[in-house]
Amino acid sequence: MTRWFEDINAGEVFPLGDHTFTRDAIIAYAKIYDPQYFHVDPEAAKLGPFGGLVASGAQTAMVGQRLMVDALFAEADRLRAAGEEPGVGGPSPGGDKIEFKAPVRPGDTLTYSLTTLGKRVSNSIPGWGVLSNEITATNQQGELVYRAVFASFLKLRGA
Amino acid sequence: MPNPITANRRHYEDLAVGEVIDLAPTTVTKQMIFDFAREFDPLPFHLDEAAANASLLRGLASSGWQTLGLTLARLSAGFLNTIASEGGLGFTDLKWKRPTMVDDTISGTATISALRRSKSRPASGIITIDLDVRNQRGESIMTMQLANLIAVRHPATVPMHEMPYDSPSDREGAKS
Repeated sequence: MTRWFEDINAGEVFPLGDHTFTRDAIIAYAKIYDPQYFHVDPEAAKLGPFGGLVASGAQTAMVGQRLMVDALFAEADRLRAAGEEPGVGGPSPGGDKIEFKAPVRPGDTLTYSLTTLGKRVSNSIPGWGVLSNEITATNQQGELVYRAVFASFLKLRGA
Repeated sequence: MPNPITANRRHYEDLAVGEVIDLAPTTVTKQMIFDFAREFDPLPFHLDEAAANASLLRGLASSGWQTLGLTLARLSAGFLNTIASEGGLGFTDLKWKRPTMVDDTISGTATISALRRSKSRPASGIITIDLDVRNQRGESIMTMQLANLIAVRHPATVPMHEMPYDSPSDREGAKS
């Protein structure tokens, strides 16, 4: 559902698209996954550290995951349309330095981007490689609100 | 002005390194895996059993993000809502060590591993929490560290420690 390991170039930037965080979606997410008052109660949130409602940081990260998966499928469709066989991806073993750098407020539109920082052949799983991918999100003022680095498995061509 | 919502909750001064918070067990059903994956992580091995069996996960497994979400839900309701939390800074060293398979029951612990004052916010502290999530066989499936801001009740009377950056971790000097 993406490219093959050999076809990924370190330093390459993939735009992942935009997402607008509505008040209702912020509250709906937080009621299930992060029910702190500044994520679920707009009135109480005014008295809190952000002076109003803000999205859970994990929601910012999960929206990034969704946009990344959608972009992988779009890349696979592009390759098929060009007569090429798409590559095979695997699960992520984890991430690091997942930073929520500024609040995300109702109505904010975040622009997400993926940059492959590096790649290596897996030591533990034959036939697979591991990518190090940086995901960033900036808001409509151009302010960086989210940055994270995740590892992900990607199959070697012909393995 | 003190925050009336959190005035009676525990503040920075009331916490100690070593406190362990139990995270209540959750059984992850096939329907939960499908519902979550459709919303946040629609990869074939989280949505389709045949694709899952052929994948590195060798069977239908939840998104690692779902394991993370369910863990944070319990931390938020069971602990962050009992302290003067001022929001999360981020996560470090997130490891998805084993997949969460259909009908696995996950539970875990959250341990306060560090407390430090914020450099950029004199009335706030930073609490570091080590999360260890396990399945019903006691196998570790996810570990990570989480950094969260917490209000200091009496900022002037608590000594500021030298802390160079407000980041999820004080390792490697990430910029605030």
